[in-house]
Amino acid sequence: MKNIFKLTAAAALSLGTAGATLAGGHSVSLTPGEDINMVLLPKFLGILVFDQANEGAQEAHAELGNTGELLFVGPTPENSTAGQIEIMTTSATQGQGAVMLSNNAGDQIVPSAVAAQAAGTRVVTWDSPIPSGEGEDVFVAQVDFGSIGTVMADMAHSILGGSGQMAVLSATPDAANQNAWIAAMEDALKGEKYSNIELVDIVYGDDQAEVSYNRALALVDKHPNLGVIMSPTTVGIQAAAKAMQDEGMCGQVGVSGLGLPSEMVSYTMNGCAPEFALWDFRDLGYLTYYTAYGLASGQMKGEIGETFNAGRMGDFTIEEDPGRPGSSRILMGDFTVYNSENVEAASK
Amino acid sequence: MKIALNKLQSWEGFLLCALIFITLLNVYLSPQFLSFSNWINLFQLSIEKVIVALVMTFVIINAEIDLSVGSMMGLSACAFGWMVQGGVPGGLVIITCLIIGVVGGAINGWFITKAGLPSLVVTLATLIGFRGLARVLVEDRGINEFPEWFDALGQQGLIGPIPFAIIAFFILFTALYIVLQRSGFGRKTYLIGTNREVADYAGINTAGHKMILFIASGLVSAFAGLLYAARVGAVRGDVALGFELDIITIVLLGGVSIFGGSGTLFGTLLAILIVLSLRNGMALINITGHVQTGVIGLLLIGSVIAPRIHLTSFWRRLKGEHL
Repeated sequence: MKNIFKLTAAAALSLGTAGATLAGGHSVSLTPGEDINMVLLPKFLGILVFDQANEGAQEAHAELGNTGELLFVGPTPENSTAGQIEIMTTSATQGQGAVMLSNNAGDQIVPSAVAAQAAGTRVVTWDSPIPSGEGEDVFVAQVDFGSIGTVMADMAHSILGGSGQMAVLSATPDAANQNAWIAAMEDALKGEKYSNIELVDIVYGDDQAEVSYNRALALVDKHPNLGVIMSPTTVGIQAAAKAMQDEGMCGQVGVSGLGLPSEMVSYTMNGCAPEFALWDFRDLGYLTYYTAYGLASGQMKGEIGETFNAGRMGDFTIEEDPGRPGSSRILMGDFTVYNSENVEAASK
Repeated sequence: MKIALNKLQSWEGFLLCALIFITLLNVYLSPQFLSFSNWINLFQLSIEKVIVALVMTFVIINAEIDLSVGSMMGLSACAFGWMVQGGVPGGLVIITCLIIGVVGGAINGWFITKAGLPSLVVTLATLIGFRGLARVLVEDRGINEFPEWFDALGQQGLIGPIPFAIIAFFILFTALYIVLQRSGFGRKTYLIGTNREVADYAGINTAGHKMILFIASGLVSAFAGLLYAARVGAVRGDVALGFELDIITIVLLGGVSIFGGSGTLFGTLLAILIVLSLRNGMALINITGHVQTGVIGLLLIGSVIAPRIHLTSFWRRLKGEHL
């Protein structure tokens, strides 16, 4: 069995190397089959997207033929901060090769992460970095949030067929990330391509299903010619899609935004939410694993400018994180836009 | 031999056996368990909770409860971060935080002794109130620009590899052990907890006694909050959220009756060692999250039920004696 994994890994790697040669850059190809114990540490257990990240990491683990162990351990939601610190500390005691952390402890994780690094454990963050960047080798960022404005404007453009009215259903008026994303979309809408799209309203559903549902209904009452409800929150988009479905208005008003494929699949298949975007957590787990394996096996140094090959996902380069000067990141890529063609596969 | 056997039949004896069993199991399952650095981690990861558990032992023996300790730890830690960020010198900030602890404890004590309200209700209210204040101070931010000496105190060894907080714990344990088990103050604590009316008739200032205990609880909680801030080098509004439950769990497991009047600080120490080695042992064999919480929960259920089963008759039955 192990040999099959090694063969698969070797095949994947040789394909990757070919790609790198074509691109002309020098890319580190990771040698499979090393013996490295690694820990995947999510914010907490019992959340679908973290399970998906684990699937991606397990896929990479098998592909690279790592003879060590890949553990998926995490705290409970109510004990997240203390639990993450405890697991980070214990991992250093156990002599783990790498900890892959979706940080939920803010900078409180720093002393334990620094201690883990001092004990020889590599710390790779994914999904959510260490704010100060201390105690962290590199952050694997899911998307460049700067591109989100264009992604949402494009989805609206596609659903409206180029012209019509759009309204935004957001989380709360003071949610910093959502506000930044809406501002980015308003910027993008100034472009020539979107000149016939009119943003008529922005409302807030407090990231609660029932409030969001009622806000969505109020929107269609207030704006009879509304063509799209754009909701940059997974709670809002699902509630809006359900509201349009319950009112039988799906052909008239399309729902879009940021959503989870598993929660949105039925609405996408019945046309209530024709397109929405997110990143793929399996890919994120897969890329994070390749990064951590490369660092922990000593095949990568983790320096800015270093390029390596991450199996089926291709080449990636370590760069300075524009949001956290002095820290480094690997940018996974663009948003994945889900529609009736790919949503079913992603929802499983 | 007979005395030793009698001792074993007590709750402390049972805890000691449980501790030996857990330790042996941990040694068998994890080669790292006995390493010195692991033992420092084992204490360090929960040091703030176990320090507060020492004072909580007094409060519960006195037939009261203090639910606000976790929030006071959070308030003290957040007040520290807020003032340090505002440029107040570190030493002054620490003194101010300890004063906050004293004032908070006195507020609890006043409502309980002067207004005559149950401590469960009063400290539930301050649990919410202190936490609210903490969140107002730091809002939704993390603060991590602490003085270097403060971070070093929490994260590095003071005597060899042993950090300040662990030394503070053992000094506090020794001092409080003498106070509770060897002094008049300790005897009064038990007497008031057993029957407050009798204590009143005996001329004991029960209200003053309770006031001292709640102030001590607030002060030690504020101290523990500072230790937490130093250990993790950053604070947020949710620092020490829910810690009161873990602290009370330890004290009850140690054999302190929730109705007051009985229990010892030695029992609390054994319970601390049991809970910490159990947690650490489970983490080392990668049992985390809900399973870990579940095991500790079962332990608490056991600790509440077990004292009700008559241990002596259980032993006699084991030895084949008829009742």
